[in-house]
Amino acid sequence: MQQPIFSDELTWRDRLRYALLRLPLFALLWWILIEGKLAGWWYGIPVILLAVLVSLLLLPAPRQPRPLMGTVRFVGFFLWESLRGGIDVALRAINPRLPLNPDLIDYSLRLPEGNARIVLMNTISLLPGTLSANLRDDCLQVHTLDDNPQTMQSLEQVETVVAQLFGIDI
Amino acid sequence: MGIIEWVTTIFLLAGAFFFFAGTLGLLRFPDVYNRLHALTKADNVGLGLITIGLMLQVDNWVLALKLLLIWFLVLLTSATAAHLIANAALRGGLPLWRRP
Repeated sequence: MQQPIFSDELTWRDRLRYALLRLPLFALLWWILIEGKLAGWWYGIPVILLAVLVSLLLLPAPRQPRPLMGTVRFVGFFLWESLRGGIDVALRAINPRLPLNPDLIDYSLRLPEGNARIVLMNTISLLPGTLSANLRDDCLQVHTLDDNPQTMQSLEQVETVVAQLFGIDI
Repeated sequence: MGIIEWVTTIFLLAGAFFFFAGTLGLLRFPDVYNRLHALTKADNVGLGLITIGLMLQVDNWVLALKLLLIWFLVLLTSATAAHLIANAALRGGLPLWRRP
């Protein structure tokens, strides 16, 4: 049986609402790409409309509205922790003794399936000493540069921050 | 040189240091998993610092947003690529290096 192009979960009214919310975002993106010049809008407008259409096909709707505070907290957390991650690995790389004690640990995810998990896995890979290696059912295998008891705590902390970003209770 | 030029120079040099350290990690670390840590994390910070340094030099602030956008996209692709490579290595049965 052929899949319908648009899933049936949403009414057309909702779709229109999401399209109108996303339109200014894609317009802003285009404006940045053409560096604010006016000439780019002639072919920009069809491209923007196409991008809105594709985004509605690929990501029909957010399940919950994104809480603003969660977003702010996530961005701050991410910038600070990824800076720490870079400094940590840089110091290990230039240290003549090469302080590495790697291990592969299993982490049971509390987040539900979907985009929140993908954001979590990408975030983990940029934080100090952790790299998302494999996801099987609800278990995420994480490669760590330095096996220590704090790793579990920091993984739980990342998961909480990502849950807040998506407005999910875990 | 004005103060802005000095700040830019400091950010660019700091960024270059992180690229250097990331490359050093790529060469020195013992297996593919550890090397991925070095490439994704150090290069992410290196590119972030270079982006900030260059943002101070633009005369059109839309260009500053464009630089931020480039950094964000590189971030997204490098984290995704690191996961895919680690995942392929793990599924292919590549053993982990452990401290002997």
